Amino acid sequence: MAKKVPLQITLNGEERAEFVESGSTLLTALRDRFDDTSPKGGCNQGTCGACTVIIDGELRLACLTLAEMCDGASVQTTSGMAKGGVLHPLQRAFMEGFAAQCGFCTPGMIMAAKALLDRVPNPSRDEVIEALAGNICRCTGYEPIINAVLEAARANSHNAA
Amino acid sequence: MSRTADPAAAVMDLPRRDAPDKLAGRTRYTVDMAGPGTLHAAIRRADIPRGRIIRVESGVARQMPGVRAIVTAQDAPGTHGIGISDHPLFAGKEIRYNGEPIAAVAADTLEQARAAAAAIIVEVEALPPVLTMAEALSPSAPLVHEGWKDYGVLFEGGARKGNIAWEAKVVRGDTDAAFARPDVTIVEGCYEVGRQSHMPFEPRAAIATFEDGRLHLVTSTQVPWTVRAVTSSLLGIPSSQVRITVPPVGAGFGLKFDCTIEPVAALLAWKTGRRVSLANSRQEEMATCLCRENAQIRIRSAVTTEGEIVGREATVLMDCGAYGGEQIFLTTMTAHTLGSNYRLGSVRLSTRAIYTNTPPNGAFRACNGVYNTFALERHTDEICAAIGMDPVEFRRRAVFRDGSIGSTGQVFEGEVLVPMIERMEALKQKSGSREAEAGGRLYGRATTVGSWFVFVGPSAATVNLNADGSATLVTSGVEIGSGTMVQALPQIVAGQLGIRPQDVVVKAADTDAAGYDVGVGGGRTTVSLGAASVKACEDVLSKLLPVAAEMLQTSQDNLVLGKGRIEIAGRKGSGATIASVAQRAQALHGPVTGSGSFTGQGVPSMAGCAMGHFINAIDIPIFAVHDCEVAVDPDTGHVEILSYKVVQDVGRALNPRAIHGQIQGGVVQGLGYALHEDVTIDAKGRIAQDSFETYRIPLAQDVVPVEFELFEGAPSIGPLGVKGAGEVPILNVGAAVACAVANATGKPVSRLPLTPPRVLGLLVSDEPPLDHPHIGKDWSSNVIALPQSVRAG
Repeated sequence: MAKKVPLQITLNGEERAEFVESGSTLLTALRDRFDDTSPKGGCNQGTCGACTVIIDGELRLACLTLAEMCDGASVQTTSGMAKGGVLHPLQRAFMEGFAAQCGFCTPGMIMAAKALLDRVPNPSRDEVIEALAGNICRCTGYEPIINAVLEAARANSHNAA
Repeated sequence: MSRTADPAAAVMDLPRRDAPDKLAGRTRYTVDMAGPGTLHAAIRRADIPRGRIIRVESGVARQMPGVRAIVTAQDAPGTHGIGISDHPLFAGKEIRYNGEPIAAVAADTLEQARAAAAAIIVEVEALPPVLTMAEALSPSAPLVHEGWKDYGVLFEGGARKGNIAWEAKVVRGDTDAAFARPDVTIVEGCYEVGRQSHMPFEPRAAIATFEDGRLHLVTSTQVPWTVRAVTSSLLGIPSSQVRITVPPVGAGFGLKFDCTIEPVAALLAWKTGRRVSLANSRQEEMATCLCRENAQIRIRSAVTTEGEIVGREATVLMDCGAYGGEQIFLTTMTAHTLGSNYRLGSVRLSTRAIYTNTPPNGAFRACNGVYNTFALERHTDEICAAIGMDPVEFRRRAVFRDGSIGSTGQVFEGEVLVPMIERMEALKQKSGSREAEAGGRLYGRATTVGSWFVFVGPSAATVNLNADGSATLVTSGVEIGSGTMVQALPQIVAGQLGIRPQDVVVKAADTDAAGYDVGVGGGRTTVSLGAASVKACEDVLSKLLPVAAEMLQTSQDNLVLGKGRIEIAGRKGSGATIASVAQRAQALHGPVTGSGSFTGQGVPSMAGCAMGHFINAIDIPIFAVHDCEVAVDPDTGHVEILSYKVVQDVGRALNPRAIHGQIQGGVVQGLGYALHEDVTIDAKGRIAQDSFETYRIPLAQDVVPVEFELFEGAPSIGPLGVKGAGEVPILNVGAAVACAVANATGKPVSRLPLTPPRVLGLLVSDEPPLDHPHIGKDWSSNVIALPQSVRAG
């Protein structure tokens, strides 16, 4: 049995602590210990983007991140984006744009898109495509996702103005 | 307000009800449901493609930490299959493919299960494998199934012999006479495609428990009733003792149209008395993917200078891998794809599913239709070049018209393909050419046609009209991502009952609650489950309307339903809410429930034309016209898609934006197939690609926005005139890209995918045209046997 180590993180703004197996990935820790199954294990090889999370403001693949390395970190996942049951504007744009089909890649897509919009509030189409380059979707053919991110950016700048 | 039957009442721009949960990461797929206390399972697989198993020793593994049970072929000695019962759950005496399950372990953790699976001692005698169809057909080839003659035949009629698992044939008219005509040009071509891996994001996964003495499987499947039947048969328990429930599925594309790992989880749950979770890793998923099969095709046609096809002969070899599976059924579909679209004076088709010592193949969105359309459309363009006719003009002249006869003698009704071609020509005109964007690269364009079908078949639905005016729809339909269960079906029920779609509760698939269903695939969900739902609604209304008529003191014929009310026609604001009528009906007669069922009624074909076919004629044909512009880099062989257009026959579009999503997604999957999705088999019989890095599927930077038009109004027996819209968008993509690349390069494009090295090879070398020496030029050498009547004729 692998050694258990304590892991304290701020998960979507909430202080949380659990024991995790030494050497386990953040993806396993989030899913099995913190009961947050929004990050998905699409490949567990760092190639599909379905486990994308934001750690201390940086986009990261949870399946390639050692859980122990995140002690004390702030971790954001898609499950924390809706506030009080109200979808984040990005999630709403995805919904209105029919940008989720099977939905398995969607939490990772949302994270990648959020990190982009946090950094570049009004991205070009090419910037959106570049930001989503590490996130694979097998259902939608990407076009609805690209358009939803652009739409969310437009709505955001409209609100800001 | 409308009376029950106005189909327009079901047409909506309804968002997906499952979107908020999917977007918030709250949706629980099968892989999210194991939970604490669940045992985890791992499979020990063969690492050679063919061999004899001498010994499987699990004593040491059984003693390892956390191990609770180990199962092998001895625990499930039966077989299953489609058409032929040839497929065991575990290899017992013989190994037939690299990756075949030999044993499975349940342990407290996944790591323990994997460690124990690796520690099982498997002693084998390796035998020379048969890795290609050419090898399999050679007279000296070892037999993949030495006991093929002894297998249970589940469907009669296919010819079988040795490594030929199944042969289906079509013979209509006298092709010998057609080819002998002095006024025809004879065009012949060979074509070849590799496998395509589905890569759904959620792998195949199942969780098994025994509850109240019955097996309950939670599984990521498209076919709950198939899983129920196969699992019960392999475990040797009555099917009534098996319950299948299906949470949202993280996509399928046909991969989950078969029972695969579920019986393994079930056996381990049985052995341990515990809840057992089994999920494929990405590597296992790819190594054992039931791919779209690799295939080899030879086509020969006799065509007049006016573009009349007087004779066609074709042979298709489909690699079914180690077990027959879906390919046995799919031999049927050559007749309805390669033998379709065009009017043929006479035709002979032979389609052979071939056993090899490679991982078994399966169903993948539009299946063999995709490569048969590729081969047929490349061949058609070669015909056009040979007789000097413009490819679009040839298609205008030669495609099915109202009353045309298909290869099996089926009569096709309605003018569909010609007006669709004209719609595409208008769309091309409107959008203009992107040729300028090609710059210094080679520019090409092609317009292709294709035909596919809706896989109708039995479906059942129950509709409960609740006393609050809502309705509950109970079916075995599964939501695999296409949106049918959250859009089309509630839209249909809402339209029939005159209530809002959000007031239609859709029960997730549960074989304990709903009647039999073939499964979600083949474009059948909206059609078959939709038709059963319409009938269930009619049953509901037959109970509701008499009560309403009595309440409103009018005749039933005067009643209209809409906006949650039943009113008297022409008197807006009259009448009562549906809820109040439902309450009254419940008080008088009990709760209002309706049931409905559907199956295809069958369409006539010409007697004696089709041999070994599961379907001689198709109930609902679907047509598609695609156009593609490409730029080919002569220095690198890279193909860029400049534009892509689709005109799709949808019957009636219930939710046009949802269909658009299917078209964009299906076309992009097809672009991957056409350009870079390349599954290869290595010397050890393994699928060489094992990750998203080695198997390249389309990324955001690869895609173009697909322009589309929906062609409505073609005849359909589907409810409200619908046809399935989700499967067919991939149908002609390989064809359109290949024809456009051939147009750009002037080279004979005979293989997919068109990877840069392959395109470069076409451009720089003067290779002779592709030939398949193991497919005889004389068509009759490619059949096991023909009935005497055909031989004489």
